[in-house]
Amino acid sequence: MGLEEKLPEGILTTQLETLVNWSRENSTWPLLFGLACCAIEMIATGSARHDISRYGSELFRASPRQADLMIVSGRVSNKMAPVIKRLHDQMSEPKWVIAMGICASAGGPFNNYAIVQGVDKLIPVDVYVPGCPPRPESLLYALDRLRAKQGKETFRTYVDFKAPPLSKQPDEISSLESLRRPQLA
Amino acid sequence: MLNVSPRTRAYETLPGLNPLGIPAVAPLPSGESPDTARIVERFGTALLAAGLHNGQQVVYVAPGQLVALAEFVRQDPQLCYEALIDVSAVDRSELPVSDQRFHTVYQLRSYARKQHLTVVCPLADSGRPSVPSLAGVFAGATWPEREVWDLMGIRFTGHPDPRRILMPESWPNHPLQKQVPVGGEEVPFTLTWSDPEFESFGKQVLAAESKPPVLPPGMNRENMIINMGPHHPSTHGVLRLVVELDGETVVNVDPDLGYLHSGFEKTGENKRYKDFVYYTDRMDYLSAMSNNMGYCLTVEKLLGIAVPARGQVLRVLMAELQRLASHLFWLSTHVLDVSGTGMALLMYATRERERILDLFEMACGARLTVGYMRVGGVSRDLPPAFLGHLDAFLRAMAERIDDYERMLTNGPLWEERLRGVGHISREQAINLGLTGPMLRGSGVDWDLRRDAPYGGYEQYDFKVPVFSEGDSYARYLLRMEEMRQSLRIIRQAVDRLPDGPFRVEDRKITPPPRAELDISMEALIHHFKLMTEGFQAPPGMVYHGIESSKGELGFFVYSDGSAKPYRLHVRGPSFNNLFAISNMSKGAMLSDIVTNIGSIDIVLGEVDR
Repeated sequence: MGLEEKLPEGILTTQLETLVNWSRENSTWPLLFGLACCAIEMIATGSARHDISRYGSELFRASPRQADLMIVSGRVSNKMAPVIKRLHDQMSEPKWVIAMGICASAGGPFNNYAIVQGVDKLIPVDVYVPGCPPRPESLLYALDRLRAKQGKETFRTYVDFKAPPLSKQPDEISSLESLRRPQLA
Repeated sequence: MLNVSPRTRAYETLPGLNPLGIPAVAPLPSGESPDTARIVERFGTALLAAGLHNGQQVVYVAPGQLVALAEFVRQDPQLCYEALIDVSAVDRSELPVSDQRFHTVYQLRSYARKQHLTVVCPLADSGRPSVPSLAGVFAGATWPEREVWDLMGIRFTGHPDPRRILMPESWPNHPLQKQVPVGGEEVPFTLTWSDPEFESFGKQVLAAESKPPVLPPGMNRENMIINMGPHHPSTHGVLRLVVELDGETVVNVDPDLGYLHSGFEKTGENKRYKDFVYYTDRMDYLSAMSNNMGYCLTVEKLLGIAVPARGQVLRVLMAELQRLASHLFWLSTHVLDVSGTGMALLMYATRERERILDLFEMACGARLTVGYMRVGGVSRDLPPAFLGHLDAFLRAMAERIDDYERMLTNGPLWEERLRGVGHISREQAINLGLTGPMLRGSGVDWDLRRDAPYGGYEQYDFKVPVFSEGDSYARYLLRMEEMRQSLRIIRQAVDRLPDGPFRVEDRKITPPPRAELDISMEALIHHFKLMTEGFQAPPGMVYHGIESSKGELGFFVYSDGSAKPYRLHVRGPSFNNLFAISNMSKGAMLSDIVTNIGSIDIVLGEVDR
């Protein structure tokens, strides 16, 4: 457009989408959340040798409301399934999920009554990492693949986004007391 | 809930070649020992059987006499079995017997006399099998009995807290009963794009609705009740604690387990002996080598085989390296939990831990889930460069432990948070069935490596640190000293590493070397038979405990003569040690719970199994 020629030095032009995606790619904060063996490798990824902060992901947030990325690191039991679903629901958009290891991806060696055969039965997964457990390098590569995916996102995604229906419309709520569970009230 | 495919227990041997008498019942004990003679003298014909079985003292007693027997062996000065280590049960419905479907099995320990006793209690058949609870005699029976009720469906009459412990309250069955299928899903090997099932992949298909929490019994709603976990940064995994608070003082703690229940025991009953080694890695994933070792020793005890000297030394070497790695990880996370400024120590300790993982990687190719040991020895010999790297590591490590101590031991913040916190008296520690550093930190001088040696530990010279204070600070000092002793054992193991085979040469148990397969038809047949059928173990039952980094890791195997364990039970040290959390935390501050969890050193993979 010739705009660049008229601007003083030190100013770059770009698209808003690219700028937003660039910042998201470089500061994806994971949820501080570990399940099983893979969590130990996730901690190893975050600590001395592998240093996940090179990817801007060293800030593991304990609250799902501050996190962008859920790394499902380990096997998901039937008792844990509602908790994971709820944590994922509590994360604000945009959010991403990495299924770390074969257990989170497809159940792995635990093909039995206790384990959900893949966390994608509960929540949508962006990147699957094979391995039992994956090495820290594999997790870093998964973050790299996630960056590639984040870089391709457009605002159109959010225009088309339909929020799930509310269980109760706001005008149906008479008081906060009525929202309390009956056995607690 | 899920697509459950029923699977029956199939014995994969051809008819005609099938050894007769499979499945078979474990034989009754024979002979006698001074202890069983003493028990027989007291109870006489009320005992069903007593004697030795696989080198262990076993007593069979009817449910009516169980509590009397437990009280007798506990209080009699000649017997003095102070602690109940483990409770498990066997469902015999697939064995060739028609009565007494359930047996409960108790493991008792005398610390003063260094003796072990197994008590088996056959239950009368009825729609609601039940047995008197031993929680009144040994407090440590409370959780293991809840686990047996949850997974096996045996009621314990007089139990103080008869709730399920691992599975959700609404779970329809008791999964370890034999008629319950192992569950899971069929693996679709021939899935194509046109398959309608393909569409559902990656979509939400399970509703997984959150249920409102239930108030644990004994809690008062007038006080503040808070929920810690299962998603909480300081619970070391997916532990959930319901905490009742009066101000900031803890009135009551109720741990809710099972968020990582993975069905290890049921899976083990459907895998051949040789295939379950890899699962043990994933139980206590911070000390995979110790788990390998415990399981292999148990199966070897059942088979009655001895591992060659080199294999034994390699196992000890790896197990002690693993203890070091596990304690380093405990230290780093404990410091991080207790004082938020401890990030530096996390970085330092993981730096050393990575070096140990590098050594494991050299030996077996994996960092965490190693699968290095096999029934009959270890999977492969050390690579040539291993010992050089190990030597460099050992020299550096001794100084590092001093470094950590300089950072922590006399630090006012560290002492403030640990001294006097989570106190357990000697009597409590024994009665609650605690093991490992939890027991030694309370003044009980007991270490299975020294007092019931296994795997050649009797040949090593090492001290067992014991502290009598019983608080978190004592347990911290104790684990630091254990790391130094591990270094000593490793140095001795390196010095004495003999030449020779690293696993038994019996081709029925370990596969032949790869080179032999090219030239020998017999080797090929052995390899094929071993990989497809595995090896069969003689009928019987066996319990074996080892000193893992967290306490006594025990495996109980009931064999019916086939190539798979009929019943496999794991006594996880973290599970029994975690029971102490209520005793440790009552009356303390909320923030002390975090110290206590760290001080117990739990791994949820082992607590929930």
